[in-house]
Amino acid sequence: MNFAQSPLIHLMDDDAGVRQALALLIGTVGLRVQEWADPLAFLDAIVGDPQRQNIGAIVLDVRMPGISGLAVLEQLQARGVDQPVVMLTGHGTVEMCRRAFKAGAAEFLEKPVHDEQLLEALQQAVRSHVKSRQHHQDDREARTRHAALSPREREVLGLIVAGLTNKEIGRALGLSPRTVETHRSNLFAKLGAESLAQLIRRYAGLVENDPSGG
Amino acid sequence: MPLRRPSWLLPVLAWASASVVAAGLLSWQALLQQHAAFETDARIAHRLLSQRAAQHDAILATLGLLQPGADGTAPQSRLPALYPQVLAVLQRPRGQAWGDAALDAAEGESRRAGRAVVTQLALGAGRFTLLAAAEPASHALVLDARAMVPTTDWPYAAAGLGPRVSLEAGGQSLQLHAGPSELGPRPFRFAKPLSSPSQPFDVVVQQPVGLAALPWGRMALAALALAAGMALAQRWRQQVAARRRAEELLRLGQVARLNTLGELAAGMAHELNQPLTAMLANTQAAQRLLADDPPELDVARQAMDHAAAQARRASEVLTRLRRTVERPDLAADSQTLDLVAQVRDTLDLLAPECHKRGVTVALDLPTAAVAVTAEPVALQQIAHNLVLNALQAMEQVPAHARRLDLLVRADAAGGRLVVRDSGPGIAPEALPRVFEPFFSTRPGGLGLGLSLCESLAQGLGGALAVANRTPRGAEFTLTLPLAAAA
Repeated sequence: MNFAQSPLIHLMDDDAGVRQALALLIGTVGLRVQEWADPLAFLDAIVGDPQRQNIGAIVLDVRMPGISGLAVLEQLQARGVDQPVVMLTGHGTVEMCRRAFKAGAAEFLEKPVHDEQLLEALQQAVRSHVKSRQHHQDDREARTRHAALSPREREVLGLIVAGLTNKEIGRALGLSPRTVETHRSNLFAKLGAESLAQLIRRYAGLVENDPSGG
Repeated sequence: MPLRRPSWLLPVLAWASASVVAAGLLSWQALLQQHAAFETDARIAHRLLSQRAAQHDAILATLGLLQPGADGTAPQSRLPALYPQVLAVLQRPRGQAWGDAALDAAEGESRRAGRAVVTQLALGAGRFTLLAAAEPASHALVLDARAMVPTTDWPYAAAGLGPRVSLEAGGQSLQLHAGPSELGPRPFRFAKPLSSPSQPFDVVVQQPVGLAALPWGRMALAALALAAGMALAQRWRQQVAARRRAEELLRLGQVARLNTLGELAAGMAHELNQPLTAMLANTQAAQRLLADDPPELDVARQAMDHAAAQARRASEVLTRLRRTVERPDLAADSQTLDLVAQVRDTLDLLAPECHKRGVTVALDLPTAAVAVTAEPVALQQIAHNLVLNALQAMEQVPAHARRLDLLVRADAAGGRLVVRDSGPGIAPEALPRVFEPFFSTRPGGLGLGLSLCESLAQGLGGALAVANRTPRGAEFTLTLPLAAAA
């Protein structure tokens, strides 16, 4: 995962003038912009792997030739693209707005759009994208680490999460407190946990789903 | 070509079935009445004949009681004179036999039954004998069945047709009243035995039920009434449908105009929204770039260039729009026209409209042609709109007070068409604004009609003026340049 690069905004509008101006405006806050004129080409490209790796957001015009912005939005959701989508429309109706939010739009703005509104919406979208990716990544890492535990360590983890002391764990598993202490320190090392609180926060969910644990 | 049901078929079928039902009801009622009258008469005939038969029994009983004296004088010899149906009175002398096989057998039967019996039955000839056994002497009456029909109270006139009345017994039959020669398939029929058990004859009365017996006149009247009723209902429905259609057309017309305007506005909004979006984004980006430290002057300058370009683009959108709805060069297409003929043409087109509103039209046109220079369609449109406007203005006054004046004049200023109405006139504060676009005093009016007339008039090199009349009404004057004399 490469977070070093600044977030990438995909800007989809069939009007070249609008595209240029919005790209310039978005660029003033340090976001990278990729412009798209053709909705179908954009759809094909965004579902490709390299584009999905980027943190960022998508700006979509509702009124486009060939396919409506709402249809593009629905396609993006269906194909599992997780970037937040900001919709732009020249003449928004309540019904259109409702449909957009139902299809998962992050924001719905009317043209001509004010800079603060648009930039704020995009920064908010990027923040929520980063958070969701981070969450996703932590989750995956925890799963990998948890899978590397030995069966005995998993048992010990289950009892730690259940709130038992070393002495109680040793009695429950028929082990000496010393052996339990060894398992415990191995477990903290393997799971990369720095404190008991962190260990419980990250792994309590996995222990509950683990049929061999607790 | 597919088989198509003609439009008249359904109503005609409905009328026919309703008529058949009505005729059936009328016939049924008439037949019930006729049958009741027939039954009454038949019962009277039956009762009278039964009375005669009872009379016969009584005579025989009396004779049995009044046995003849030794002198042999016979009161019975006077009976035929008293009763026309009694042809003869027979007597079996005491201690002797009748000397006739039939009478002897009847004597035995009468004794067994204890009442009089009929013998020597010859109904075809109208004869039968009624015998009552008694001691010491028995009597028998030789009877003429035809003469049993009484002269008074008999319900069937001798000469009239009436029903067929007959006596029937033992397979023999005697017609007492001939009636019609044919009885037809289902005659009224009354059959009842005489109430005297000694004379077991059936009284049979039959009367044909012919087509003539049906109430044809009333049936025809009913059919006519139904036809008239249905025609009225149909006409009423057509009127309702026509009114609804007219209302629908009116509503559609208004909706269509609003739709056109709505489309125009939506299209304009979209076309202008794009450059406005770009302008706003560019100028705001420039503001941000200039606020940077150090300011990014080059990029900001480019942004302003883009903004200016987008402003020009917006202006082009408006120019293009104006050009699309712009009218052709009227002056170039102008030709020499007779203003009088043009006014007559317009009035011909609007004559049904004037008639419908009950408007009196007064024409004041010169006999000679007034040659003006104008584009024919534009001139027609102005004249049409002015007359229509006058008609609409007069909707607020009662029909008898609606008067439209059309004048054509030619003078030094040019050819003039004056359209005067007798409507309420135009409010003084509205007068200077009547030619403004989207200004209307009429509810639901778009306010484009008179505005269009004025721009067309100016396009033709003429003018359109408005004034109020006294005591009321408005006056529009169209002035057009006269054609140069050839």
